[in-house]
Amino acid sequence: MSLLDDPQGALDDLTRPEGWVLGVSVTFLLFLLVALLTGALGPTYFLFLVGLAGMYALLSLGLNAQWGFTGLINFSVAAFFGIGAYGSALMTASGSPIAGGFNPLVGLVVALVVAFVLALLIGIPTLRLRADYLAIASLGLAEVVRLVVLNERWLTNGSAGLRGIPGFFAGWPVLSTFPEAMPGLRVEVIPGSPVILETAFWQASLNVLLVLAFAGAAYFVLRRAHRSPWGRVLRTIRSDEDLARALGKNTYSFKMQSFVIGSLIMALAGVFYTHLNLYVGPGDLDPITTFYAWVAVILGGSGSNRGALFGGIVIVTIREGTRFLNDVALPIDPAPLRLLLIGVVIVAVMRYRPQGILPPQRELIWPSAVDRGGTPETPDTGVREQKGGGDDE
Amino acid sequence: MSEGALPKDDVVLRVDDLQKSFGGLAATDHASFAVERGTITGLIGPNGAGKSTLFNLISGFYEPDGGTVEVNGTDVTGMEPYQVAEHGLIRTFQTPRKLEGMTVREAMLIGPRQQPGESFLRLFASPGSVGESEAANLAEAERILAEFEIDHLATQPATDISGGQMKLVELARAMLAEPEILLLDEPVAGVNPTLAKKLKDQIRRLNEQGTTFLLIEHDMEFVMDLADPIVVLDQGHVLTEGTPEGVRNDDRVIDAYLGGGT
Repeated sequence: MSLLDDPQGALDDLTRPEGWVLGVSVTFLLFLLVALLTGALGPTYFLFLVGLAGMYALLSLGLNAQWGFTGLINFSVAAFFGIGAYGSALMTASGSPIAGGFNPLVGLVVALVVAFVLALLIGIPTLRLRADYLAIASLGLAEVVRLVVLNERWLTNGSAGLRGIPGFFAGWPVLSTFPEAMPGLRVEVIPGSPVILETAFWQASLNVLLVLAFAGAAYFVLRRAHRSPWGRVLRTIRSDEDLARALGKNTYSFKMQSFVIGSLIMALAGVFYTHLNLYVGPGDLDPITTFYAWVAVILGGSGSNRGALFGGIVIVTIREGTRFLNDVALPIDPAPLRLLLIGVVIVAVMRYRPQGILPPQRELIWPSAVDRGGTPETPDTGVREQKGGGDDE
Repeated sequence: MSEGALPKDDVVLRVDDLQKSFGGLAATDHASFAVERGTITGLIGPNGAGKSTLFNLISGFYEPDGGTVEVNGTDVTGMEPYQVAEHGLIRTFQTPRKLEGMTVREAMLIGPRQQPGESFLRLFASPGSVGESEAANLAEAERILAEFEIDHLATQPATDISGGQMKLVELARAMLAEPEILLLDEPVAGVNPTLAKKLKDQIRRLNEQGTTFLLIEHDMEFVMDLADPIVVLDQGHVLTEGTPEGVRNDDRVIDAYLGGGT
């Protein structure tokens, strides 16, 4: 909108960190483009990475809806992710020990329902208590879910995992046969290094489309919700729950809503992952996923939806980017380097920018009143548009 | 509404035989009193008399061991704080915590009760009604801020204003919740004299417009000037109640404060 009408004005409006993020992103995209055109990066693999980035963005958006909005400490991101992944896989996979063979849409619904029930079950006893109890319970929940998946072979196939998972668009009209129907393309932008686009590429494009739809929907829903009176109550709870209670807000209900919505978004990430990877195993429920999601949210700025998106992408870049270091002769193995690098990033953020790279203030209602450095501006979208006039005295 | 027109026996808040113990300590010990509509009732007592416990019991933050609390004739004993608030009893806190990432104006907007936009589904199902109520609430918030003469703070981050200003904002915000009775926990503690004077004027003005107040305050000059009647609490029970003069001259009150007594 504003970016198209007035690109220069929109650029001027950016805060320094925003400009920085934009700059880094553009540079990174150019780098990727060069890598793609020269054939250093396979287009199908690239799309797979975009899918992963979308998946991590979903995870961190989900966690942001819990921790960033309301201050709920959830250490079972991996469990809800796993519920989404397994829920969908068990319904759709040909190798499923229980149902199997259903349309992926059925899998999506089942996964979300299971995640919903689980979120309620863990929320009911803990959300009336102090914040730490949810943290403890969720830590336990993550382990329980992982161990159940690992050991209940009749249900989940145990450590062998689930194979034979169809793509998400299997059984849809047109889209299910779209990858095969597309002709193989040979693109040669730089002479001598042709880029070949085949069935796998089109399949991957569909996946990217799917994750963009998921993440886009989650982002816009959360963005609207965070600015709304609903989100305002959540933000009050985060700072001072007793105040919200004294002013007549049923904080238990609000916390439950925030927890359930976040958990559903995490499960959505799991559903997508199932149909991206076409295999799920108990290893996918390792706590490292929870850790990555937390890093992404803290890095991006707790409470900030844009920050969560950005953090998710950074995590994938570090996680997958370090794979390329295999080709470079390094004195140490790149795998541990990955965690080290994430550790360094977190330490640096905490030291120099504890509020995160894109803190939420700018997303909220009257940004000019919060970010003193910025120029006064009227709210950009949503309900508050109509009363922006009250901003200037 | 005018104060004089109200019947004298109109009770907004009735506390009857309220009890609460922590371990072996009876923090509230068979306390009974009533707050009549249209009054500014003061609740005083030496440190540890159980004033804050009583506030927490009344507003639903603690569950009493015995006794009842009635707001506007409805028994609210054992209800959640938000339910008590829905019956028209709003309270403030001794030390208001600052709301991060909000402007004063936004912090005000938490005040109104039962906003349509507080329903997640309605945000998407009927954005129109959400927008309308937001606009109305905002206008009301602006009006109250202006009445309190703190409209210049509206766009300040809520974390940046002084403690005294925060107390004013709290009072202003509580008015957005349209309370029948407002419980103020030490409204002028740590507030400079100028702001304290301002707070006193505001409380008096709001009272004249029909809000009933019950306030805890340690500043005797403040409370004696503002409140009538005054309820004196000592060791969890009501020692006496009456006019400021009566209380001031009551030997038991003096004993309780000076620790002379038995």
